[in-house]
This record gives sequence, structure tokens and C-alpha cells, in this order.
Amino acid sequence: MTSITENCNYSAVPDQTHQACTRCIMNTMADRGISFDDMGLCCHCQRYDRLVSARRLQGEQGREALQALVDRIKAAGRGHEYDCIVGVSGGVDSTYVAWLVKQHGLRPLAVHFDNGWNSELATRNIELVLRNLGIDLHTHVVDWEEFRDLQLAFLKASTPDGEIPTDHAIGALLWKQAASRGIKYIISGMNFATESISVPEWSYGHSDWRFIKDIHRRFGSVKLKTYPHFSLFFLFYANILRGTRIVSILNYVDYDKEEAMTLLRNQLGWKDYGGKHHESIYTRFYQGYVLPRKFGVDKRYGHLSDLINAGQISRAQALAEMQRPPYAEELQQQDLAYVSKKLRLSTEQFAEIMSAPVKSFRDYRNLYGFVQFLRNTVNALRKRHLYPR
Amino acid sequence: MLHPRVIPCLLMRSGGLVKTVKFKNARYVGDPINAVRIFNEKEVDELVFLDIGSAGTRAVPDFDLLADIASEAFMPFSYGGGITSIGHVKRLYALGVEKVVINTAAADQPNLVSEAAALAGSSGVVVSMDVRRSWLGSYTVCVAGGTRDLKREPAAYARDMEELGAGEILLNAIDRDGTREGYDLELVRRVSEAVSIPVVVAGGAGDLRHFREATEAGASALAAGSMFVFHGKHDAVLITYPEYEELDRIFK
Repeated sequence: MTSITENCNYSAVPDQTHQACTRCIMNTMADRGISFDDMGLCCHCQRYDRLVSARRLQGEQGREALQALVDRIKAAGRGHEYDCIVGVSGGVDSTYVAWLVKQHGLRPLAVHFDNGWNSELATRNIELVLRNLGIDLHTHVVDWEEFRDLQLAFLKASTPDGEIPTDHAIGALLWKQAASRGIKYIISGMNFATESISVPEWSYGHSDWRFIKDIHRRFGSVKLKTYPHFSLFFLFYANILRGTRIVSILNYVDYDKEEAMTLLRNQLGWKDYGGKHHESIYTRFYQGYVLPRKFGVDKRYGHLSDLINAGQISRAQALAEMQRPPYAEELQQQDLAYVSKKLRLSTEQFAEIMSAPVKSFRDYRNLYGFVQFLRNTVNALRKRHLYPR
Repeated sequence: MLHPRVIPCLLMRSGGLVKTVKFKNARYVGDPINAVRIFNEKEVDELVFLDIGSAGTRAVPDFDLLADIASEAFMPFSYGGGITSIGHVKRLYALGVEKVVINTAAADQPNLVSEAAALAGSSGVVVSMDVRRSWLGSYTVCVAGGTRDLKREPAAYARDMEELGAGEILLNAIDRDGTREGYDLELVRRVSEAVSIPVVVAGGAGDLRHFREATEAGASALAAGSMFVFHGKHDAVLITYPEYEELDRIFK
């Protein structure tokens, strides 16, 4: 879980003068609520500097903490078939987690959410990696008619949260698999080093079922019967009563994306997609086409800035990358045709969606305040080492 | 292609993909359009789609969905399910379906097989036969999704279909469907010996050795469902297809 950027003032009137951070590439256009200190360092970098030592352990310290954690996970798994769950998408983070978990002698169950948008490369990567590592797989295939209806409802709701139906279901699936199989640990691929920047206006709702339900009630038409979801009450049950824990294991190792990819390619036959989360065709299209064109959101600003802070690329490299389109124009057009076909939208209907006025999650029922309270609580517990990183 | 054709055989019901065991307990496995797209990129030899929702009912093919599927499919693509008239056959060819698969209608109105063959040539017409084995070991051909027993011996039935103009037989063993225990080799042998047209076998494939066994028993091509959609001990849904080199090795 990432926490909101406490330093940034999101009620501020957008700054008319364009300003970019002196260290990363975040700027007033990418994030309207951004603020800078006297040295020109943005609030995201300030937050990074403040939290990095608490959230991320490196070198010897990390190895020791990880070993202690592995021992706890093994102890909790005794007598069960598996001692942890890893969510797999075929992408680099989750694949590296699967590899790392096996390296430490854990017995993971891989869980995959199939939302009908897998690329061939995603299925191939999952197959190869799990076979080579000897990891069992559980897949949940969502009913396409339900899921299509929900994705379409989010597009019509006109908020930049079009990937929430997938993100929420993945969360629900992991929590529920853990509960039903008596597994205490969910190992996540989230990591502070390369995923620390989060701008609330870019996306909201991962754990807000009230928000999802409200959008579906207003814009959907197919009853959600099998769509995996959870309430905050269930989260309370799973976390507090059952004691299930999410562990971002990559925060315990010196996670370098390039190195990880090389290792996975060489050892497991894994292949690269060329973009973050491009293992899903819809995610590629949503992040590379819908978000920039309709909402003026380009998540690459955040991803690349994270990599700068993690010391994995230079600012110049990141700026050069931003000169390129989010992904190949030709592929964008192919995806547009394919997405329209799958969602059964005509060219005109899709254009209408793209030109509809932009809204925010605040225009719908939500539990924003409460969700933030929970996130801050977890982060406070993390600081006191009462919750895994 | 140097090795025998290896063909994913996908079942549809109400627009979704399903997989059955012995023609029962259909389990939902996803959206057909995405599956076709993945198989496309895996460069499969051919693809067979069978709409089992229409078996034994009067439902007609879902032409809109088939148009979307056909537009994503770059491999030879066969369709069966609810085909009861030459009009259906014409429309399917027009959509880009390369072969029509006729099952129940081949028994009820054999002329349809001849008419379809006259329209597009035998190579575009597949007659599919679902065969059940009795506990005494005798075989009979069933139609309407395995619910109606024709009390016909499979080899003789297949010969009749060849004479009517079928260019290919899709031979499905009901008792092996979804079991992954291997094809019914005795059945494969009998039917392939009886006809000179290609016999595509289905029902029971679980691993690559089964392909080899079936070709040795006379099969011209191998169809499989579960093997290409399920993975591992939890039967996780995951679309897979063997690498070209793996197939070469098994058929060498």
C-alpha cells in the first residue's frame, strides 16, 4: 500500500507557472497539487527521503530482516500445503517476487486474476516461470459479461479510475484465497523503491467497494454475481481477526528492475513487454491512451521519477523517455480497435466517452476519509515495526 | 507443417468459453475473443469452435460473435453448433469460417452435408461424431450433445459421411472428454481404417505422448481442449500450446 503524499496541498489552486522538480521529473502539469521546497525539490522526493529508511531495508540489514520474516512465514505455514500467496500477472515485479520467494525456501501458491485482457506474453510468462520454479497456480476467471459491464461503467463514469475494477478484484481474490486456504501471508510485488509516488488524482478506489458499487449502480446493467470484491469490514476481519499480512518483499532486497529482468530472462525464460503493466492489453491501452488523452495523466512521470529516486536511471534518461509516445502509435490504434470490439463500442460511442467531461471519485459515493485513515494507520504501524513493510 | 495438425478445440455456451468433462459439468473458462487472440499469437495450426449451447436445441449460430472471433483469427478456423441449413453454412463461410462442423444435422438431414460440400468443396465440410462406449465395449454414435443415441456403429457411420461428401471427420470420445487420460485408441483405429478422409480425434488428450499414440493409431490430426486451457494440479485456467520444437520432437 502506498500512502498519500502528506506534503502536497491538493486543495491548492493550480499553479500557472510551470515548474519541475530539480531531482525527479514530476512537475506542475503532471500533478496539479505538487509543491516544492526552497531548493526546488518536489513534495514526492521530500516524502521519499523522509520515508525511505523506514520503508525500505537494504544490504545486510535487509537480509537479516528478510530472513526473520521468512522464518515467521514458514512457522505460520506449518501444517498447511502453502505458507504464502503470490499474485502473478506475468509482469516483472510479480515474477521476481515468485523467484525470490522460492529462493528463500517458501512454499507459495501463485494466484492469477484473469479479467479477459491477458496478452499472449503474459500467459506464456506465467506458464514458463511457474513451471520452471515448480509453483502451483490458482486462476480466477472473471465472468466476462459482468466484467465488461463494470469496465464500461467506469469509462462512462468519466473518472481516471478505469483500472479499479481489476485492482480491487485482485485484492479481493488474494485476501479470499488466503482466508479459504488458511494462509497467513500474501507476498506483494508493490515496492517502495520503484512505486512510491502516488498522486491521489491519478487513481482512487482500490479498496473502496462503496465507490465501485455506486459507479456500477449508475452506469452498469449486468448484475455483479461472481465479481470478486471485499468490504472494509472483510479487510478488518482478514487483517485483525485472522491476522493475514501483506508483505512487500521487494522492500527487503536491493531491487533493481533492470537486473531483475536480466535474471528472469536468463534463468526462467521470461520475456519483456516493453512497458510497466503492459502484460494486460487493457492496462496498456488505459495507461497509454485513455489516461493521457482524456485526463492528461501520464503515469510514466511517476514511474520514471521513482526509478530516478531509486538511482536506477538518470533524470536525463527519464526526460528522453518522456519525449516518446506512451507506446507505439500503431499499437495504440490496434488496441483501440480491439478494446472497442471487446467492449462492444462503436467508434462514435468510444469518441463520446473520450470527450465526456472529466469527473473525480468525489462525484460518487465513497469512503475516502475512512480509507485514508486505515492507510495512515497501517503506515504508522509500519513505522513502529508492528506491520510488515 | 511437418507434423500432424494440433488443434485447440474450444467449447462455447451463451457466448462464453466452457470446458466439460464427459460432456457434463461445463466450467467457465473465459472470453472467446481473448482466447482466439492468444492462440493466434501462439501460432496454432488450426482452431475449432463448438457452440454446445446450441446442441440439440433450435438455437442458430451466434453470427455476431462469430464475426468478431473470425476477425481475430488468423489461423484456419472451424465452427460447429446449431448449423441446420445451407443458409447457415453460406453465412459462416462469408464471415471467414473456413470449415463448418456439422453434427446433429448430419444425422437428421444428411443432404445438408452434400449441399455444403457442393457449395465449397469437401475440404470445407467436417462431420463431427460423438461416440459413446458401452460398458461391454461396443461403440455407438450419439448426437444432440450426446443425449440422443443413434445406435449406429461409428466406422459405418463415418463411411456414410464420407460418401455424402464430408472432407473430414471430427471424432470425439464422450467418455474421454475432459479426462486427460488419453484418446480412445481402439475407436481411433476403427474409424480411421474405415475412411480415407482425414480423421481428427478429440477427447482425452492430456499430454504430448497421447498425440503420438493417436497418430500411430491412424489419426490425421489431434484436437484437445483441457490440455490447452488448464494448468497444474488446481486446474488453473491458463492458455498454453506446445512449442513447435516440442511437437517436432514428439512426432519424430
